Amino acid sequence: MPDPSAPVASADREPLPRPSPSGRSPRARRRRPYGSVVGRLVPYLPAAVPAALLVAIVLELVRSSQLTNFGWGFWGSRWDPPDAWGIATFVAGSFLTALPALFFAMAIGLGIAIASTSYLPAWITRWLDPFVDLLAGIPSIVYGIWGYLLVAPYFGTVINPFLYRHLSFLPGFGGLPPLSDGLGLPVGIFILTLMALPITTLLIRDALRSVPRDLWEAGLGLGATRWETVRRVAIPYGSRGILSAAFLGFGRAFGETVAMAMVLNVVASYPANAFGSTGTMAAEMFLSLDSAYNNSQWLAALSEMALVLLAISLAVNLIGRRLIAQIVTYDVPGL
Amino acid sequence: MASAFVFRRAETAEELLFDRSLRTRWRLGLDRALGWLLPLLFLVAIVPILDLVYYIASHALPTLTWTVLTSTNPYDPDALGVPILSTAAIMALAIAVAVGLGLFGGVATAEFLPERSAGWVRTTANMLVGTPSVVLGYFGYFLLVITFGWGLSFLAGAVTLAFFMTPYIFRVVDLAYSSIPRPIREAAYGSGARPYQYVLRVAAPIAFPQILNGVFLALAIGVGETAPIVLTTTQSVIFPPTVFSPVTFLTGTIWENFSQPAGSPALALAFQAALLLMIVVVGLNILVRVISARYQKRLEGLYQ
Repeated sequence: MPDPSAPVASADREPLPRPSPSGRSPRARRRRPYGSVVGRLVPYLPAAVPAALLVAIVLELVRSSQLTNFGWGFWGSRWDPPDAWGIATFVAGSFLTALPALFFAMAIGLGIAIASTSYLPAWITRWLDPFVDLLAGIPSIVYGIWGYLLVAPYFGTVINPFLYRHLSFLPGFGGLPPLSDGLGLPVGIFILTLMALPITTLLIRDALRSVPRDLWEAGLGLGATRWETVRRVAIPYGSRGILSAAFLGFGRAFGETVAMAMVLNVVASYPANAFGSTGTMAAEMFLSLDSAYNNSQWLAALSEMALVLLAISLAVNLIGRRLIAQIVTYDVPGL
Repeated sequence: MASAFVFRRAETAEELLFDRSLRTRWRLGLDRALGWLLPLLFLVAIVPILDLVYYIASHALPTLTWTVLTSTNPYDPDALGVPILSTAAIMALAIAVAVGLGLFGGVATAEFLPERSAGWVRTTANMLVGTPSVVLGYFGYFLLVITFGWGLSFLAGAVTLAFFMTPYIFRVVDLAYSSIPRPIREAAYGSGARPYQYVLRVAAPIAFPQILNGVFLALAIGVGETAPIVLTTTQSVIFPPTVFSPVTFLTGTIWENFSQPAGSPALALAFQAALLLMIVVVGLNILVRVISARYQKRLEGLYQ
């Protein structure tokens, strides 16, 4: 009598029944849990609201633009409302403001997150961390009015001339001297840094906190300093979370509208140098809907710009969220 | 030969404990320096906030009187009564629509959908959160204002804002129902509760504080939003608005007045609106945090 539990491949034994794909036996799979088919489909109806809204947004933008302008001219850089519809300058403007802002927000956010997870005692971070959350809560138009009236003149009279004097040998920093009103890339990047900072900081903090205590203690126990433990253990372990912070922070900065419409001198041209001004897609869309309302071709071009902005934002967002299992912090706008 | 210079092993315990080599001093010094320098980065967050609050308050408070806040006289352009009341009206309608759109979906996703479908639904809600607000403004403009023919109106503005807030409500409800301890769910179903009985009688009292929290959060996010509302309504000086009349909004007031000349009453009005907005938003945020901390304690209590 052969042992039935032993793996046997002899020809006289009947093959074992294949397990069903669901992991249960075929009979259990046929049995319905409860309710009718219709009854089980009902919950999908309210659950599909966000998907329906997304589809409706895309369809409405496609319908209102009829995709008339997509073509070579649309990706060109000549935007001259009744005649030419090339959005390249605005796409470039969006990246030129969002990418440097992301760089600063990641660097500062990494520093703050490391300080609050591994250097400062809990009773201090309890008082300091809410300031970063508060930064997320401030409405963008309040950033805008502060940036336009206080920060931009300060950049125009103090910071930009200083940078121009000392950095003009670098490519992109020379050329035309900065204007004294200060409206332009530096102040835009500064405001966007502040707006992306809470998202990057919170996500990096969550990533570092998700590092198991054992690993921290192993690192410290081997004689590494706190910094070496962060650098060699915690950051590699939380690298996906940190990468997702970069994507989601970029998404926030890329779609920012009102603050950019206020602190940039929105024009359809590439910036002359680092102190020049340009337009972002969101700001241009926000500012020119009023003047476009009775010109169907203009409206079509703006809707297509909205589609491009939406596509890039959603792609970045999707990648950022795929990188981490679940976002712990829910109470931040845009996260 | 060379390796002897690179790795000089400690010979005695004393040498190991009191290691004075340059490399060790550099390692410890770097660690200590970072311990002082990295916390300074908090200043990047703290200084702008304090500066911003001080700047807004110092320009808003000198001319802020009770009349400015309450006057709804349409012939008095430098008063906030109409924007405040209109904002409250818009937010009331918007939050009602958003809760209507998001509540049932959140419950269904957490309770009744299989895990795979729930994952997809959550992804769509997250994508909607990641949609730039100006795109939602365009959606509201083309669909509600033009296609539906509502015009630049109260209804169009409120519904657009509701679309903006829906995913936040949706996610919070989903999270609230998903985070109810599993034993409670099993006890309810095990003792014969129907699904609706579990959702309404067992889970709802536990999830309610977090849902309320989400509503406050959505209000805080919605009231500070500019692009969707400015693109779908126009300014008006009359309160109460009718459904299809233009309506004014606090952020719209700031947007209209922020580039007025320095010292003008209109600019002061923008500052006052900004101050009010910040008080409301920060107040709601603090409320959210207080509720959330209490709720966390209560949820931990449920496990015992």
